[in-house]
Amino acid sequence: MTVTTAPDRPVTGETPLPPDTAESPGHTRPALLMMAPFLVLYLLFVIGPTLYMFLMSLFDTSLVRPGLGSFAGLRNYTEALGDAAFWASMWHTLWFTILTTPPLVILAFLLALMADRVRRGRWFFRLAFFLPYILPSAVVALIWMWMYTPELGLLSRMVTALGFAEPSWLGDPDLAMWSLALTTVWWTLGFNFVLYLAGLQDIPRELYEAASMDGAGPVQQVRRITVPMLSRTTSLVVVLQVIASLKVFDQMYIMTSGGPNFSTRPALEYIYDVSFTDFRVGYASAVSTLFFLLILAVSTVWVVLTRRQEERL
Amino acid sequence: MTTITAPTVTRESVDRRIKLFNATCAGVLIAFAVIWLVPIAWAVDTSIKPNSETTNPTWAIQDPTLESYRTLLSQGSIWNWYASSFITSTLTAAATVLTGSMAAFALSRMRFRFRWLIFWFVLIGIMIPQQALIVAQFREFAALQLLNTYWAVVLPQVPAAIAVFIFKQFFDGVPRDLDEAARVDGAGFFRTYWRVVMPLSRPVVAAVAIFTFVWSWNNLLWPLLVMTNPKLMTIPVGLATVQGTYGIRYADTMASAILGALPLVLLFLFFQRRIVEGIAGTGLKG
Amino acid sequence: MDRRTLLRGMLAGAGAAGLAGCSSPVVAGLANTPLDQGTVEYWDLFGGGDGVRMQQMVANYRAANPGTPVQAVTLAWGNPYYTKLSLATVGAKPPNVAVSHLTRMLTLQRGNLLQELRPEDLARHGMAPEMFNKRAWEAGLVDGRAYAIPLDTHPIVLFYNTDICGEAGLLDAGGALKPIEGPDALADAFAKAQQVTGQFGATHGIDADPATCWRLFHTLYGQLGGEVIADDGTRVVLDDAKALQVLEYLRSLTVERRLMPGSIDYQGAIALFAAGASGFHINGEWEISTFQTAKMPFGMTLVPNVFGGTYVVHADSHTLVLPRRDDQTPGQLDLSLGFVKALLDQSMNWAEGGHVPTWLPVADSEAYRKLTPQSNYAAAADAAVYDPPAWYTGSGSNFENVMGSAVGAVEGGQLTPQAAIEQLRSRLSALAALPSPV
Repeated sequence: MTVTTAPDRPVTGETPLPPDTAESPGHTRPALLMMAPFLVLYLLFVIGPTLYMFLMSLFDTSLVRPGLGSFAGLRNYTEALGDAAFWASMWHTLWFTILTTPPLVILAFLLALMADRVRRGRWFFRLAFFLPYILPSAVVALIWMWMYTPELGLLSRMVTALGFAEPSWLGDPDLAMWSLALTTVWWTLGFNFVLYLAGLQDIPRELYEAASMDGAGPVQQVRRITVPMLSRTTSLVVVLQVIASLKVFDQMYIMTSGGPNFSTRPALEYIYDVSFTDFRVGYASAVSTLFFLLILAVSTVWVVLTRRQEERL
Repeated sequence: MTTITAPTVTRESVDRRIKLFNATCAGVLIAFAVIWLVPIAWAVDTSIKPNSETTNPTWAIQDPTLESYRTLLSQGSIWNWYASSFITSTLTAAATVLTGSMAAFALSRMRFRFRWLIFWFVLIGIMIPQQALIVAQFREFAALQLLNTYWAVVLPQVPAAIAVFIFKQFFDGVPRDLDEAARVDGAGFFRTYWRVVMPLSRPVVAAVAIFTFVWSWNNLLWPLLVMTNPKLMTIPVGLATVQGTYGIRYADTMASAILGALPLVLLFLFFQRRIVEGIAGTGLKG
Repeated sequence: MDRRTLLRGMLAGAGAAGLAGCSSPVVAGLANTPLDQGTVEYWDLFGGGDGVRMQQMVANYRAANPGTPVQAVTLAWGNPYYTKLSLATVGAKPPNVAVSHLTRMLTLQRGNLLQELRPEDLARHGMAPEMFNKRAWEAGLVDGRAYAIPLDTHPIVLFYNTDICGEAGLLDAGGALKPIEGPDALADAFAKAQQVTGQFGATHGIDADPATCWRLFHTLYGQLGGEVIADDGTRVVLDDAKALQVLEYLRSLTVERRLMPGSIDYQGAIALFAAGASGFHINGEWEISTFQTAKMPFGMTLVPNVFGGTYVVHADSHTLVLPRRDDQTPGQLDLSLGFVKALLDQSMNWAEGGHVPTWLPVADSEAYRKLTPQSNYAAAADAAVYDPPAWYTGSGSNFENVMGSAVGAVEGGQLTPQAAIEQLRSRLSALAALPSPV
């Protein structure tokens, strides 16, 4: 889950709060009480498991045995880093990110750009593009598995009607990831579309007016005004998209089970497999930690980005 | 729509080009929107065919029927899944709003020692990917003997650092004189929070509640691990796990997909503006 | 209807669900109470023809026991199934009865996920060790205690096209395949069939089908008396000479003599045989329904004794297990065992799907002996070799993937037998070195 600050957040006219160290008498106890429900749950179910994960990664912990098991040192990490299956799953995650991010950013931008120019029926476009995003992944997967069904599926039939040989959408190891990416673009495009649409509405119309008077055509207007003005939104969309793509699991789990022949198994499914099929929770924790660090690195980029943008506001 | 200026040749030609450009945009956009709706329409179309007719490659249906829906609704498991999803999502949304807004209120309005430390400590939570924690959390809930209960689904989703962050940002923008006044009148912190600040924060409360509900409803990985009894599964888990039961009866499968999506589609249709504004305002993403 | 009404409706809906939930699931979900006392919850992993047959058997149970509700759930075959079963058991709400492959049972048992089946409980329901096929029953024992009731033995078998083999002069007067023994005899038979078909003598799944490759390799290697791992999988005892002999033989069938296609997947191998493009097909007996549906002339028999040692053939068994649960009551145990017994009693129905029954009252019956071609390979049950015991072996396991993909690469010509053995040795050593999680 990630967030960025609102561009149009009301700026408070208050005097800034006193420095961090300031403490008003009688505030500490009620403050702790009001924060307690959140902090307790946060410590128990977020911070605690994080530390527990680090700890287990140093042991041969088993899913079906109590306790941590025997101490393994860094062996779980060296095993993961030397394991072809681990690298394959990391690569599949990365490959999926590479396949999905450009279309999800560029197509969303173009569609929002066009929708911004159409005055009537904007609700319809929002509905069409955003509705899939609200669907559970399981529903999306069921619908698309039906679309991809050999011989009977709508897509297969469209392709054969055009005179091509029918592709094995999810059965061909070279094609399966593309099919999953296509489904994902359909599913999540609406989110970026809405972000871009909001960004576009913040651009003052006068800029376009002025450009028109200077004789700039629509394409020039887009290039000289829209794209630069939207750079903030774009960096946000890209980072959010990368993080979301790295966490991919649902589509693969339901549509291909990571197959055929593990060719689409992403990092999260690898973790799922080693911990809950092989019971190797210690090793899975080491893999989880590596995955955790990867996401953390990307998220840090994002935090730095938003912080910097806030300072500029 | 345009300001009046002296018409020049260039200006007119630009206007014409822009009109043409806008018309092209509308055309392309409509084409894309229709393409985007095809899979959903095809799913609905398939779901109202008799199972025997689903191998038939046309949109037209000989005998439209709600038989698949009737079968599913009478089987009962989908009702159990609905119950699980409704209960866990509602509990998650309510608890997230409550705990998150209280913590945010303290961080925004109260001055206590280590305030910034705690704020940063919570902020770190935004960057922690819950998906990496499934192994540790699973062991934890196994030890607590809470697997296959709704609490296993709800509890890890509640402490969402992001909600605190959003609430705090909003509260920071709520004029301080109102609650100062309440405080002068002798109201305690909790009363000020509940009676003054929360009622002023309806939009953000609604946004966080709706989003948490939707995420919780759509969550697959975690409930898949902790809800393994078919009677306790949530909608996505049930659909992902027990699909095999329907075999190659495509109409039934599509009807189950549509039933699984229906509550959220209704939610979306009613709260469309709120949801879209919520995203635009906060960039929330699951 | 405005938003407020919708909200209210949804709250009311949740409330109603809560109230309706005075019946079990919702209360169980909130308060962690036992679920569905008095029903039998049953999980299996059967698709295709097996799935249909199992549904019939469950339906028969329902009809005979109207007072006992049965909730039957079918999950996807292989690793996902065992993952679900383990998670459900760790999660304290497992099914009452579940299907498990015999070779997967040991890991479940070591993980403390199964209930012991005590002789007195079994006896109460008319089940005793001597009423089961000895080999299957003993393979299901851990330290002398029973944890699994074997429902069948499912060996790999040799399918043959009776028209093609007849034309090739491979059938006896009764229309059955003449006995084949030895490597040359088998290659000869394939060659004769190939002359008839003009394409291939035999097929089996190779591409992306490590399971079938392993099963065939295991059969031939077992006939030489070879073993792969020992001491619960902590030691690799691969016999290079024997493995080389088997791999070179398989390679001669595909790469050198082209009697079998070296690059074909599971479905493709079936399709070639069904279309009459090959005279023989090696696969699990469960594919019987596929060829019956195809209405083709075929017979089934034991995979021949190629290397002349003690006759063995790779097999596994479907067993019925009772996952461990702390809330087990005697009444619930009796319901579960009664259900198990009811499935055993329908072994004849199950046998029609190709599986060799382990329940001797059926396996020894006249009716089963008359069931052909199924009873032709019934002897496989007594000659079955199972995956060697280790936490990483069993049907659909990592072990089968490692073994089968090396064998498949030899048959496909991508690896020499020598290179395959080196690859096997290094991958098996890596598996053997891992600390067992159970």
